[in-house]
Amino acid sequence: MPHLKAALSRTLQLLLVLWAVVTILFLMFRLMPGNPMAAYIDPTFTIEQQQALMAQFGLDKPLWEQYLIYVGNLLQGELGQSFRYREPVADRILALLPNTLILTFTSLIIAYVFGILAGAYLAWKRGGVVEHAAIPLVLTTRAMPEFWLGMVLLAVFSFNLGWFPAGGTRPAGANYDSLWALYTSRDFLTYLALPALTLAIYSQGLPLLLMRSNMLDVMKEDFVTMARIKGLSNWTVVVRHAARNALLPVMTSFAIAVGYQLQGNVVVESVFSWPGLGRELVNAVSASDYPLAQGAFLMIAVVVIVMNLIADLLYAFLDPRISHA
Amino acid sequence: MRPSFRAVGLAAILAATAAVPALAGDQIRTIDLFTRPQAAQPQEFQSIQLIAQEWRKLGLDVNVRVMPWEQMSDIVWYQREAWDVTAWQMVGRPERSDPDEIIYNLFHSSTAEKGYNFIGYVNPAYDEVATAQRVEIDEEARKELIYKAQEILAADQPNMMLVHPRQTFAFDSTVWNKESVVEQSGIGIRNTWTFMSLEPLGEQKDIILNSGDNVQAINPLYISGGVDSWVFELVYDRIARVGPDGLPQPWAAESYEWRDDKTIEVRLREGMNWHDGEPLTAEDVKFSFETAVSGEAPMYAPFASNIETIEVVDDLNLVFTLKQPAASFITSSLAKINLIPKHVWEPVIEDLKTKEENAESYQEQTPIGSGPFKFERWLTNEEIVLSANEDHFNAPKADRWILRIVPNVEAALGMLRSGEINFMGEFSGDPQVLIQAAEQDGDLEVVSTVEMGFRYVAFNNRRAPFDDPAFRKALSQAVDRRLIVGAAFRGFAVPSNSVISPALEFWYDPAVMEGFETGIDVAARMLEEAGYTLEGGRLHYPGDKTEEFAK
Repeated sequence: MPHLKAALSRTLQLLLVLWAVVTILFLMFRLMPGNPMAAYIDPTFTIEQQQALMAQFGLDKPLWEQYLIYVGNLLQGELGQSFRYREPVADRILALLPNTLILTFTSLIIAYVFGILAGAYLAWKRGGVVEHAAIPLVLTTRAMPEFWLGMVLLAVFSFNLGWFPAGGTRPAGANYDSLWALYTSRDFLTYLALPALTLAIYSQGLPLLLMRSNMLDVMKEDFVTMARIKGLSNWTVVVRHAARNALLPVMTSFAIAVGYQLQGNVVVESVFSWPGLGRELVNAVSASDYPLAQGAFLMIAVVVIVMNLIADLLYAFLDPRISHA
Repeated sequence: MRPSFRAVGLAAILAATAAVPALAGDQIRTIDLFTRPQAAQPQEFQSIQLIAQEWRKLGLDVNVRVMPWEQMSDIVWYQREAWDVTAWQMVGRPERSDPDEIIYNLFHSSTAEKGYNFIGYVNPAYDEVATAQRVEIDEEARKELIYKAQEILAADQPNMMLVHPRQTFAFDSTVWNKESVVEQSGIGIRNTWTFMSLEPLGEQKDIILNSGDNVQAINPLYISGGVDSWVFELVYDRIARVGPDGLPQPWAAESYEWRDDKTIEVRLREGMNWHDGEPLTAEDVKFSFETAVSGEAPMYAPFASNIETIEVVDDLNLVFTLKQPAASFITSSLAKINLIPKHVWEPVIEDLKTKEENAESYQEQTPIGSGPFKFERWLTNEEIVLSANEDHFNAPKADRWILRIVPNVEAALGMLRSGEINFMGEFSGDPQVLIQAAEQDGDLEVVSTVEMGFRYVAFNNRRAPFDDPAFRKALSQAVDRRLIVGAAFRGFAVPSNSVISPALEFWYDPAVMEGFETGIDVAARMLEEAGYTLEGGRLHYPGDKTEEFAK
């Protein structure tokens, strides 16, 4: 059963990667200089109180013991309690994750739909004026820092034209019965527009360039020449034959892009006051809130690892020539 | 002949050409000066650069060490012997309008080992004054003592006071009546009084304000972030509140009166209710203070630990008996402890007593207080919605109070101009930018207020040469504070030589600032008189003192 064996070794690899991530995260924060209890220093505060606080969070124990406790808790699905918010890390992550996911997927879908169409078009129009103008433009959007792009969009569309609100996910004080009611409301779209656009502009370069170069490769293949010889129309050749084959690697890159996007969210969420996981991550790191920072990083790492796995599996599924044997 | 300070250049030349006889002590080591990074604390960083530059002119070798707060406080707080000089700050809070917390906890020798006197300042004469003001109930007599304390500090310079910054806020004057905004002395216009009295001019009746920081918790038993206090000061009442003038006034109490210097009688207002409709009684008040010292709310414990007993006379009357007389009791306890409903919290506290965690990690779904605003909703890292409590004895004129979390300063300013927010609750950018925006806009009103908080440079009084008051004073005098105000704070601060802000008019001793001379030549003279010498352009200890802390 080669398939089962492959799946098993893949899972083992996955666990190994997860363990490495967990360990690195643990050490990374513990080895940072400074004391996580520094936030509480106050004139009415004494060293004894601080030590009591350290003991409460288990920070007085030796590092190896803290590590064992941490890993033990993780195995039971327990992410610990945030120092800063004094609430379970899992609760906070769950409250913020939907906002991050909807922003990520909206922007990626826009980026991929646009990227694939534009990439295919540019491949078709190879060598023309359009391509000469478009490629440098795409490369420029790839190189623009997201926070800068975000600020420009804010200044133009929000502050000057007043078309979109400047931050948050909903109008001040608006109440929705559920997240679903919020996400399907018209207001939400106006709040989502600018951050999603910023991320979409930033991410469309990858699918676009990938699609274009794949198309160019595929167009040289025998089966495309064959199709042309059969006398099929240019449109049929490009869309039905070439584009469908060129799409494969682009689709798998989507899965990996989700992981990258989560990291891009960190900046965009701060610019647009978006209550997501990325902003929380920045706060947690700067406040030395180890449990929360570890939890948020771990969540992102898990998404990246799972998405990579999906990309692998998808590839084998979409293209039977790839096998795990 | 010892080289003169006023001829530094000449001294340098002399030292370079001829051997100088060993008349002086050792050369003073390179001094480490801590500051937080420019990105996090631009004003502090800039001030420290200026100070280092001035000190170098005195012949000191200064090494500015930049580190994040967690690291800096870890060294300063835990390794009390291991550092020289550090930048530091105290923020203003309503309860700090009583000088006791600052005067006692920062400088009394009893807090030197494990408390906030991390600089290790020990002066028996000061201890005496600091202790005496604690128990002096007569306000005028206490004022004399607070003046005395400020004078001792000015003479000893255990810290180098820099400035009291100005807090700058803004609001939309087409939404809110200008006259209804209350400027609280030492705090600014973003305060509980303003939120209660803001009067809407038109259709918009919601106060929508911004904060850069997230709300950490809305818990009446946990002193968490600064923003959190904006919220719970509105949701919870206290027996007294610090008024716009900085002095406490009866709040949930109709009146209170000292029977003697350890006994105070409190009479509650009639007809107060909790947000869930239950009546507020003296039993609730007693419970609130007892919970603070129950071990389940360690951060509030210091504010109630001086209470010996609380006697409930009837539903409205209580008598507090103190262990020690305490002049600051009204501000630091009665105006600090949040009143919480016994029927809600008693079962929670009983349950927590059997558990490892304490009440600080307990978050109610809907916090129940008795304050002028009721809790409605909390969306993680996005907004908090409170609604006016119309049954309150000081019911707000606005409908709702909505706090939006906006980490991006530029966006916050844009929102104020577009009307997405109508009260700027926090502006961490350059105040000049805010003022310019207001001028362009025309609808915005900007108000700057001198804070009771302050920025300073802390000397480690345990380590030579900082154990010498003359040396500390010279270093402090070397820097003209106007330079710091102008260059680092862009004018949005006032020079300081006292831990008591001029905003606290009653307690502030203006003489300590008036008598304070600055300038490199003043500092050089001071050092020379104290026996310090310059050799080879470098400052040396007086007499035969040796350098014990060189690395």
